[in-house]
Amino acid sequence: MISLGLCGAALASLAQAADWKMDPSGSRLEFVATFEKTPVPGVFKEFDTRLRFDPAKPDGGSLDVTIRVTSADMNVADVNKEIGGEDWFDYAGFPRAEFHSTDLRRAGVNRYLARGTLSLKGMRQPVDVPFTWAASADGAVMEGEFAVKRGAFGIGAGEWSKSEVIGADVKVKFSVKLRKSG
Amino acid sequence: MLRNNADSWGAPAKLFHWVMAALIVAQIALGLLAVSWRLSPTKIELFFWHKSMGMLILALLALRLAWRLASPAPVLPADLSAWERAAARSSHALLYLLMIVLPLTGWIVNSASNIPFHIFWTIPLPAIVAPDKATADTFALVHRGLFVLLALLLGLHIGAALRHHLVKRNNVLARMLPWGTP
Repeated sequence: MISLGLCGAALASLAQAADWKMDPSGSRLEFVATFEKTPVPGVFKEFDTRLRFDPAKPDGGSLDVTIRVTSADMNVADVNKEIGGEDWFDYAGFPRAEFHSTDLRRAGVNRYLARGTLSLKGMRQPVDVPFTWAASADGAVMEGEFAVKRGAFGIGAGEWSKSEVIGADVKVKFSVKLRKSG
Repeated sequence: MLRNNADSWGAPAKLFHWVMAALIVAQIALGLLAVSWRLSPTKIELFFWHKSMGMLILALLALRLAWRLASPAPVLPADLSAWERAAARSSHALLYLLMIVLPLTGWIVNSASNIPFHIFWTIPLPAIVAPDKATADTFALVHRGLFVLLALLLGLHIGAALRHHLVKRNNVLARMLPWGTP
């Protein structure tokens, strides 16, 4: 009886953390590189977010993002032609990137932190993703930004690893529209 | 002596002439190196300096033209024939025109390519045309064609100056020399 009760309590607490699915049309994943100290923005047109999250009790939640790296668009034809190459994203070898976190915690009023691992171009690095949470009638929007070192993922290999021309830091910005999926 | 008079150039006019001569020679070298370099951070650096210098030349030219209007050029030697006068006037007018149109067409190429750019890492350069690959390609060709015209005219300019000095034995070349006070 006791174990059944514990089981029931565990199920009840799980049920509170709702599952959320992304609405792609209202979501955006941007990255901003720098070129001669001038910001050059890009987007990943295709990505998906799965979230298990209770804003009142973030512990026990999880965040999973998959990114189709080959959908990158930096708005400059010559640049788009180059970034798929081996020195950069290497589309052929690594068409997908992923971020997984099972460590969601509160960081302030409507502010949270997802500590997890970003897998990009075959490299895995710990990344902290801060985000704000805004609930609305039909769902919620999570937004945030953070910086990653492109060198940690081998983005810009060989002579491109020097940071004078293409900066070392890349800012990642996201705004994700979510709907409860039960 | 700052202002030009009928026989001699003032110091500002000489300074404009020689500073811009040096910049244009450097600019031609940078442009030729930039287009021929293989894609690498060095190529991007070369283009960065070429674009920054182009905008510097355009800005200096605006000041130079203003000064030229405020302080008219010395008169040509009296013994020049009608065709020599016409050739001198039209080749100088064309040189000024190219010093405007070359930077402008370069600016159009940069804008149409949609490459964010800060002149010497500081002043953001606004786009003057919408991003469009066909426009970028067309104006890149125009820019190169105008460069060939400029190179021919510079040859003519230097040749004519030497002809004044060595054949016609007048002071046209000497009076533009930095130390010359004919």
